[in-house]
Amino acid sequence: MARERTPNRRQYLTALGVGGAVTLAGCMGGNGGGNGDNGNGDGNGNGGDSGNGNGESETIVIGSDIPYEPFEYRNEAGELLGFDVEIAEAVFGEQLGLEYEFQQTGFDGIIASLNNANFRVIMSAMTINETRAERVDFSDPYFTAYQTVLVLESDDITERSDLQGMTVGVQRGTTGEAAAEDLQSDFDGDLEIQSYDQITGAFDALLNNQVSAVINDNTVSAEFAAETDGVVFLEGDGVAADREDAPDYLTLTIEEYGIAFRQADDEFREEVNGALAAIREDGTYDEIYDEYFGA
Amino acid sequence: MATQTDSESGTGGVMMRDRFVKRLGEIAAAGFLVAVGGLLVWILSTQVNYTLLASPLIAGRFAEAFLLVLRIVVISSLLSVSFGVLVGLGRISTSAVTGRIAKGYVEFFRGTPLLFQLFVIFFGIPRLWETGQFPIQNWAVPAAIIGLTLNHAAYVGEAIRGGISAVPDGQMEAARSLGMSRVMALREVVLPQAWRNALAAIGNDQIILVKDTSLLTVIAVPEIMSVFRNINSNQLDPWTPLVWVCVLYLAITMSMSQLVNGLERRSNWGSDSGMLGRLSRGSSGPDGGDG
Repeated sequence: MARERTPNRRQYLTALGVGGAVTLAGCMGGNGGGNGDNGNGDGNGNGGDSGNGNGESETIVIGSDIPYEPFEYRNEAGELLGFDVEIAEAVFGEQLGLEYEFQQTGFDGIIASLNNANFRVIMSAMTINETRAERVDFSDPYFTAYQTVLVLESDDITERSDLQGMTVGVQRGTTGEAAAEDLQSDFDGDLEIQSYDQITGAFDALLNNQVSAVINDNTVSAEFAAETDGVVFLEGDGVAADREDAPDYLTLTIEEYGIAFRQADDEFREEVNGALAAIREDGTYDEIYDEYFGA
Repeated sequence: MATQTDSESGTGGVMMRDRFVKRLGEIAAAGFLVAVGGLLVWILSTQVNYTLLASPLIAGRFAEAFLLVLRIVVISSLLSVSFGVLVGLGRISTSAVTGRIAKGYVEFFRGTPLLFQLFVIFFGIPRLWETGQFPIQNWAVPAAIIGLTLNHAAYVGEAIRGGISAVPDGQMEAARSLGMSRVMALREVVLPQAWRNALAAIGNDQIILVKDTSLLTVIAVPEIMSVFRNINSNQLDPWTPLVWVCVLYLAITMSMSQLVNGLERRSNWGSDSGMLGRLSRGSSGPDGGDG
């Protein structure tokens, strides 16, 4: 018996090995196929047929931390929507005639991921700042944002100084986190910061009484405040008080969003800058802006 | 079975000779060591920024995170082992109700990801209150301890159950025939042996618990991975904080496996420091050491 079994076991192991190799190959092939399908889906969904016409050009993969409503988010049906998404369609699809697709990624590792060539550009409501500019190159700014403070209406926080000694929620790796750290040093360290993976986690924490305030970009916070009862902006004159387009609540910083490129990608960056200028000129930009942020 | 002469004369061909296989293993292991060691030396000498590594700011933040993780690990470890013993006893209960409930508990907490359980506890539970009315501030750490405890109690429970069923039935039968009740037999005879059987599995699970604390980064517990992610996104330098992360986790897990090894040695039958060893020496003469 034992002698008869031995070859069986060996055959079994061999079969297992072959099967494993086939499966692995299948997975890798499947991945490739899957990506291709995604590309087609995005192209069709966003009317990128002109991109298909170009045929030979590679698909531009855009790294983005989704969800970050209203810049990039999915509706109940799973469709990708948002300001960045439409700007991408206008710039990459219509102006440059390229195929493109969004790839979801975490925000705190997004720059390393770009430099590791996981995607070609970052479009993720990303603020242009010096630390980041050391590692990536930014396009011309395409959006102005302000760091603002959300609080619960029922709490007794009415001005900036009331935040001293409180806990604030932010998203990890964002300029909101940086603004919170600045505030912390203003208060001589008397401010606790909780960093969440996604901004929705910080919003949840506000509703769940885990943080007293959330520091984040104004437009995204405004979307959340509009959707949620009892959540309001902290009032006060901020750094943007003397700007005419500034929001009428406390602003901690003024920031501008850019599309991030690898530093060796200058040629493509210039093309995109040209496309950004073109959509500002022909009114596409204003159309998209009004759709998301118009009164 | 292959005998000494079989392998020496090489009836299985050159591939089957003991010495050949041994050499092959040594070459593979040495090659692995050289490759990994070389990579490590290269990373440590080119990628790590030692000024940043030693800067008190970073060291202080990692130390704080380390102490927090240590606190969470110690508490959840003690709770999950105690609770896990109850779960294990429930699993072997002769009562159908207790047995089924314990089985259901294990199935649920072993069958869903810890991350899901953490989300339920941290994001879900507070939403049972009105907006902003949840009474516990700083819920993240308690939520983490509850999640780790409930999850790992299921694994410890299964380890205990396995340990108990590995004790030969004769032990229980002998104890019962001496007039012990089932509970007494369990406590005095079966459980001490089951504990020894289960110890390796429990120790293994507790080491996994340590590593599971890295998941707490997503519920905003300022633990070790959180500090790494914060420093990496500020400094855009992954390797320097990664060195800290590696050293700190190994510091906990390696001392934990030392502890488990020590406990296993203590409960080993027959060895000098084990229970039987001490017993037999105790009876054989008064001059036996006290282990």
